[in-house]
Amino acid sequence: MNARRIRNIIRKEWAVLSGDATTFLLIAFLPFLILAEGFVVVRVAAAAGGQAILDNAFFQGALSKLIAAQPAVAELPPLDRVGVLLVTQVNFFLLLIPTMIAIYSASYSIVEEKLSRSLEPLLATPVRTSELLLGKALAGAIPAFLMTWVCAGVYVLAVVISGWARLLPYVVTANWYLDFLLLAPGIAVLSFLLGVIGSSRAKDFRNAQNLVLFIVFPIFALIGVQITGVVWFTPLTTVLLAVGVFVVDAIVLRLAVRLFQRESIIIRWR
Amino acid sequence: MNVIEARSLTRRFDSTTAVEDVSFEVGEGEVLGFLGPNGAGKTTTIRMLAGIIAPTSGYATVAGQRTDGDVAALHEVIGLLTETPGFYEKLTARRNLEFYAGFYPHIDPAAQVEKYLKMMGLDERAGSRVATFSKGMKQRLALARALVHEPKVLFLDEPTAGLDPEAAHDFRELVRRLSHEGRTIFLSTHNLTEAEELCRRIAVVKTRLLALDTPENLRQGLFRRQVVVQLAALPAGMTEDVAKLPFVRSARADGTRLIVQLADAEHDRPELVRRIVELGGQVMSVSEEAHSLEDIYLSLVHEDTR
Repeated sequence: MNARRIRNIIRKEWAVLSGDATTFLLIAFLPFLILAEGFVVVRVAAAAGGQAILDNAFFQGALSKLIAAQPAVAELPPLDRVGVLLVTQVNFFLLLIPTMIAIYSASYSIVEEKLSRSLEPLLATPVRTSELLLGKALAGAIPAFLMTWVCAGVYVLAVVISGWARLLPYVVTANWYLDFLLLAPGIAVLSFLLGVIGSSRAKDFRNAQNLVLFIVFPIFALIGVQITGVVWFTPLTTVLLAVGVFVVDAIVLRLAVRLFQRESIIIRWR
Repeated sequence: MNVIEARSLTRRFDSTTAVEDVSFEVGEGEVLGFLGPNGAGKTTTIRMLAGIIAPTSGYATVAGQRTDGDVAALHEVIGLLTETPGFYEKLTARRNLEFYAGFYPHIDPAAQVEKYLKMMGLDERAGSRVATFSKGMKQRLALARALVHEPKVLFLDEPTAGLDPEAAHDFRELVRRLSHEGRTIFLSTHNLTEAEELCRRIAVVKTRLLALDTPENLRQGLFRRQVVVQLAALPAGMTEDVAKLPFVRSARADGTRLIVQLADAEHDRPELVRRIVELGGQVMSVSEEAHSLEDIYLSLVHEDTR
């Protein structure tokens, strides 16, 4: 793969994106909507159901997994333990950001080339299919995970402002950094690669969005596993998960290249 | 030296054969006209030669590269003007060209972009979005895109289709300039005047290759040379008498014109005039009947239909 050609695709995608107000606004504001929703849910749950959460068998299981991963949490007052549990869940909730952006913007990536008839001249250049698809995926994934980082920072700020500053040492842990620095880029690339596959197989924008939503569903499931507390990720499991996601990224890229049938795209799109 | 070689190129789409057993060569610096009706397989042939789609059978080489293998190297030496220009309409003309130029390692993209924007007369609109361009401007920009990496071989698919006469004329001038620069040009077109004006050889296709030669050789191969004798008046029985002459293959009257096909037009023409005068004809002028490229094209295509 040629890095210069991939960079060229990324720069073009960004130039097109900057001229598309709708997608630009979506990428800029959707993450904050997701963040606000997560924050409100956490505050309401903590305020209205703190004790009830402590009494609930399901959450007791999740709390015991949290304490197993972070023994220092056991030293906190009971309601603060609930606070740490709830605040920590939003970390994984924020990993939904790149996936949500991918459903919208990656759906357009190849369909747009088909509709504007720009794909054939592009395929007549020396660019390889793998470079084209990776370039398109990275062009979406990079701003998506940068937005995830921004939102993570804003979230920490919101936690401090709302009077939970004392919980930060239990929230912004090694795992927090691993989630955002390692897992978020891997999930962002995966979401966009899957989005590009959906786009390359779709007939139009609507069809692409439906297809992409269906394809990225397993990523929601992965995040849901953590949010529900069924599995509690330690730094080691997070690193392993991130490595696994990067391996899946590589496999999905190969799959995307195989599924990208340039002949049928060129011939059937008149 | 041949720059393009096609050997038994065939392409089927499900049960439809778009191109069948097409073989030809194009020499270095040659402009080859590729003529045929809609659905004749012109675009499919170009796509196979440009390595965009693979042949079902047969093969082709362009600038020494197989078109059905790893096409990245092939794409460094060819330029393709597609039937529909296809640009990123929200980007400027310059940004569009910079994007395509950015894929080629052996050029200075910025310098090449400026060179071709200027050559195509688009330098003053380089900062405008392509969406604001007329069809002719988009076509010139598409040619700039096909040329920005200085390809040895240029594939032009219906380059003047839909252009107004002035834009089409300007475009032909550009193609002529490129030809003089020594580039090999494969020109698919419906426009017979354009083909005759620009191309040394013409290929007529209709799924199969019906003919490939210079326009003059095609004319001679299809239509024997005919002599037109303009008479002051056509005497009775003159046509039949002329037809009986030993060196005459056929003769017919058209008003006061006598149209005669000779066994050897160069050698027998003076004798024909002498005999017509002897038969009482008053010869006003003698000329040769000309056949246009359109006659050749229609004859080939209709003959194939029959």
